[in-house]
Amino acid sequence: MKGVLLSGGTGSRLRPITHTGPKQLVPVANKPVLEYAIEDLKEAGITEIGVILGNKGRDEIQELLGDGSEYGVDITYIVQGNPLGLAHAAGCAKDFVGDDDFVMYLGDNILKSGVIELVKSFEAGDYGAGIALQEVDDPQAFGIADVDNEGNVTELIEKPDEPPTNLALIGMYVFSPAVFDAINDLEPSWRGELEITDAIQDLLEDDYEIDSHVVTGWWKDTGKPEDILEANRLVLEDTKLNTAGVVEDGAETDGRIGLADSSVIEDGAVVRGPVSIAENTTIKSGTYVGPYTSIGANSTLEDIHIENSVVIGDSEITANGRIVDSLLGRNANVESADDLLPEGRRLVVGENSQLKL
Amino acid sequence: MRIITHTCPACGTVVAANELEKNRVMKCPGLGCQEVLRFEHLPEDAREHFLENRDRYQI
Repeated sequence: MKGVLLSGGTGSRLRPITHTGPKQLVPVANKPVLEYAIEDLKEAGITEIGVILGNKGRDEIQELLGDGSEYGVDITYIVQGNPLGLAHAAGCAKDFVGDDDFVMYLGDNILKSGVIELVKSFEAGDYGAGIALQEVDDPQAFGIADVDNEGNVTELIEKPDEPPTNLALIGMYVFSPAVFDAINDLEPSWRGELEITDAIQDLLEDDYEIDSHVVTGWWKDTGKPEDILEANRLVLEDTKLNTAGVVEDGAETDGRIGLADSSVIEDGAVVRGPVSIAENTTIKSGTYVGPYTSIGANSTLEDIHIENSVVIGDSEITANGRIVDSLLGRNANVESADDLLPEGRRLVVGENSQLKL
Repeated sequence: MRIITHTCPACGTVVAANELEKNRVMKCPGLGCQEVLRFEHLPEDAREHFLENRDRYQI
């Protein structure tokens, strides 16, 4: 079994964060989203991984993952270039995959339960493909699978008006090499892409059995800022956090706090977990860091009240105010304007930024 | 749709034909690899197929 990890896409819904890097490298609980996928694949015993690169962030992704040895896996890079669809991405991996089965994992997704059960379920039968499904409240908004009593998929329907089930495709797949013949027979859809659901439908029509696995834990597509915050909350809720850094006397801490050994919570600061604080970061006196917050490396916080937020790193946040439900990009600084005249906020805001003042 | 790729002989990075055709001559996108890749490295039938269907490989 091999892994194909999709790391292309423009990240347009995550602008301005993605003006300077790929969406798969945005950190959740101080770890790039892509690393969760690598760990999930490795946990499922998959150590040969093809990483699909698009037009954006190729070098950054290669710099992070390298040859995979730091993660105990072997990585081959596959440059898709133009975003011609998931089936095109899979097709580009044909030579890498060879005659093996493979898991296809969307690199901006995080799945609580990993892919072990999906792989086990696929390997228990003789399937052309296996798909991960999750029950949703609004099936009209998703690609929906109809399944029989044995859990075999009988039909895939894109955003049906009258959905036969509430089981949505969540973008995790296992394929046999038979999918490459199906992809070869595909034509681009109305949006000019080769659709993976069309390839699966072709497998069904060619009498291959398609396994389904219903994911019960949470799953997040981290495509939008609010998704990053939600994923950060879910991961902090579940992750073991280790306080290795210095908590000074007079600092008030409560709950689970991940504190890197080179970081400090100073006298007079308040930190309420779950919180993750990365390397070389100082939480100074007068600061409140509230639950579900991740502070990236090389940052200083002073006087600020911050909660349910992600600070990617290299930031100075020293204003006396409240920051909630926020995503701050690398090198973003928030300073006080209290001593400046005329009174007012001073902003240097990049294209596609969102501010609620 | 036929999907055509080329594998860098130096580092093993796989490159889709649309990427090769767009650049014609390019440094391998594998980080640190100095190999020069050319659209002409693809087999003749693959090049012909790609060029005859070029519009389908754009978006």
